Amino acid sequence: MTLKTISSERGTVCQELKEAIGAEKVRDDEITLVTYGRVRHGFDTMWPFRKPGLVVFPETREDIVETLKIANKYKFPVTSVGTAPIMLGTTEGGIILDQRRRDRVLEINTDSGYAVIEPGVSFDKLTSALRGTGFKCSVGTMPGPGTVLGQALGRGSQSFTTRYLNVILDLEVVLPNGTVFSTGSSHFEGVGSHLRYGPYPDLAGLYTCAYGAMGVVTKAAIRIHPVNEAYRVHLAGFDNYSDALDYVKDLVNNNIPEHTFIWNWHMYLTWPLAPADMEAVMPQILESDFRKPPEGTPYNIVSSLLSGYNEQVDVYEKICAKVAQKYHGRVISDEEAEERFPATLAGFRQQYGDFHYRESVHWSKGRFAGWYVFAEPKDMKEIEKFAVSEFANFGKAINPVNYYSHPFDFGRSILLRISGFPDPTDIELRKKISKKFDEMYDVALKKYRAVPIRPIGSERAGTYMEVLRSIKKSLDPNNILNRDSGLFEEGEL
Amino acid sequence: MKLATTLEDVQAAASRCLRDARCTYGSWPENHVLCPIYRREPSFTFSGGGYLFLVLALLENRIDFDQSTADFAFSCAGCMVCDSNCNLIRCHTPYVGILDIIRLLRSEAVKRGFVPDGAAKKIYDEVKKTGDYGQVSELKLPEKIKSDKADTVIFAECSHARSQEDISEAAVRLLEKIGSPVSQFAEKGCCGSTLYDFGFWEQLEPLAKANWDKMKPLKDKKFVFINPHCQEFIVNRYPEILPDYSAVNNQHFSQLLADAFKDGRLKSKNTGKVKVSYHDPCYLGRGLGIYDAPREVLASLEGVQLVEMVRNRQDSFCCGARALGNYVPNLSEDTARERIKEFEDTGADLLITACAYCKDNLQKVMPGKDKQRIKDLTELVNERT
Repeated sequence: MTLKTISSERGTVCQELKEAIGAEKVRDDEITLVTYGRVRHGFDTMWPFRKPGLVVFPETREDIVETLKIANKYKFPVTSVGTAPIMLGTTEGGIILDQRRRDRVLEINTDSGYAVIEPGVSFDKLTSALRGTGFKCSVGTMPGPGTVLGQALGRGSQSFTTRYLNVILDLEVVLPNGTVFSTGSSHFEGVGSHLRYGPYPDLAGLYTCAYGAMGVVTKAAIRIHPVNEAYRVHLAGFDNYSDALDYVKDLVNNNIPEHTFIWNWHMYLTWPLAPADMEAVMPQILESDFRKPPEGTPYNIVSSLLSGYNEQVDVYEKICAKVAQKYHGRVISDEEAEERFPATLAGFRQQYGDFHYRESVHWSKGRFAGWYVFAEPKDMKEIEKFAVSEFANFGKAINPVNYYSHPFDFGRSILLRISGFPDPTDIELRKKISKKFDEMYDVALKKYRAVPIRPIGSERAGTYMEVLRSIKKSLDPNNILNRDSGLFEEGEL
Repeated sequence: MKLATTLEDVQAAASRCLRDARCTYGSWPENHVLCPIYRREPSFTFSGGGYLFLVLALLENRIDFDQSTADFAFSCAGCMVCDSNCNLIRCHTPYVGILDIIRLLRSEAVKRGFVPDGAAKKIYDEVKKTGDYGQVSELKLPEKIKSDKADTVIFAECSHARSQEDISEAAVRLLEKIGSPVSQFAEKGCCGSTLYDFGFWEQLEPLAKANWDKMKPLKDKKFVFINPHCQEFIVNRYPEILPDYSAVNNQHFSQLLADAFKDGRLKSKNTGKVKVSYHDPCYLGRGLGIYDAPREVLASLEGVQLVEMVRNRQDSFCCGARALGNYVPNLSEDTARERIKEFEDTGADLLITACAYCKDNLQKVMPGKDKQRIKDLTELVNERT
């Protein structure tokens, strides 16, 4: 459907939508439309301005069913979004389906260990709802207002994934023709959402990293985890990433940490600073070479959440100290952390005490430029060196250079996320970085067997994308869903 | 002036927005929605970020500046929830706040002659006619406490709010009871607060300068403010506007009362038991960080029991008084109604506040016979001392 056709149908679609779901849920005023013109990564001038034709605010699943049916009838593009940044473009003249008003925590099941949520539920909302239940949820590196589902479907980095790969158990999905189905055990009437893998193929996977292209998710069940009798954060310092990773692998192979992270020194000194701390810490960080920490400052620290019974955690702490020594590291005491990086320690205590993640301000230099890959442990050691070397070529203009790395699925796969913070208004530099990242993904894949976290172009995915295209054509024959970038290239199919 | 006046400022601020609505709600774990316009219309448009995006769209000529832009700009209640909760926008240079940018939008609307009908239009007409928006009422200080040599200077504010006169009268009676010598600062012109908020920036700088020139010789004294809007503007904004500004010793009237109770110059009399709830005015609370003094005063009053509303202190909900735009119909009244409902849910007899604008707007939506249940702190203290 061309932009011209979209424009000519806009009035009809708007009228039908208002009649079907209520005029108060459909906005077509100019101010609303221009403010939704750059949904991708906030108002990022790197991405094109695309003014939608309508913005719809569904309050029920039926509102979404009706919206999709009408949009499908007129072959009108729809992009489903929540709050916080998204990784997809929107369509000029299309519908933005903003699910922020669908923000109820529908169920907290403390017997089985899952929560059922609507798509608009934020981390702040879920972590708050879980207080006092004896359970906690994975929190991502997304700020508290970001949606749980947005992070989970994008398969971003999350806490408590050391022993799992993904937090999603069950999804309720609406297809463009109005069909509603659930991907997990709750599809059977009266059955809860405890099981992702039923007697049929795992369809939840089809919606993970699909950026909304295969259907609109209207409800999700996600894993929640028990808060044990004792939980402590153990810190160990290392002079290089290789040793830090060996330490992490050893701990994970012996089932010690519930969750563990490797941080580089720029990151652990700047996360999660409050505005006042920023003024004290950032000037030195901005002037430093991230490859060369000051004397006595570990290049990496590893934070490990130890949990279980008190006696168990006492033993775990001793094991961590022993293993750290084995890999040339040293234990960082609470006293030392309090003195050298109090804000970071406070952040750990918050994340592993209240089990929520406050919005930090290290983002606030502007948009960050992040490069993310998954790889096997032995390959990741080389990738870290490669990425560090490439980032160093950008110089101090992208300081701080923050990276973290952590094991997923019992250490089968390791994530490295490395980010720089260029001036958000320096579009030329940011484009240069973006181009460089593409080259780095190529090298990482070919030379180091590293898989990127986000789609990198269908020509590199070959038959995988062919299969996805076939599925897409079957589920969304009119190609109305999130069709401008995301899973597929712009205008593809 | 170090105010948000350039495209670069707005671009830099907007480029940091994560579009995550953090500007709309208060502290975890309560996460109460506090932004009045977002509360009414949960949408990115009606959030601090939405305002940033609109300004940038205007600057990039993606939308025309017209009456609806002005209605939208003036619909923000100016309650400071956005700047208090979003850490991202203010953290790096040029330190531009979201609210600064909304005021920039208003100033552009005023420049172009687009002003919403109603209260904003009245202000516009007066400023156009007189170049000022000041109708100061000199306080009638009793001779026994009036002294030009006094260390305490009462800042007599303009009577923009209907309640201001009654509040000032109660304040004078209290000063008389306290008995310490005071003088007053009562200049004709606006201190700049209202002009700044509503976009009359052309008139702002000369007025603030004239005001400061007269305040300067008294700056070693202690200025006591009754209206938190004037105090917040002078304390927080004068340093940005006036190159020769130096900090003045300042206090809000509630702090003066708290001190007077503490050192025994003011004594409570028991006139019966009453349950009260306290509404934190945005400019006294989020603007100046004064949360404890009014509560200490209430605790000093015999027979008075404070029952907090669900949203209080830094997570207080605005009264809606300064939402003068018409983009969202009845936003000001509906915001006040929501606050009144929250007050009624406490079961308290009286709703106490410490700002004339709050008192006026909350009284406006209170049914007739119950209007007297809304009082300013000075009035309650005057009745019970």
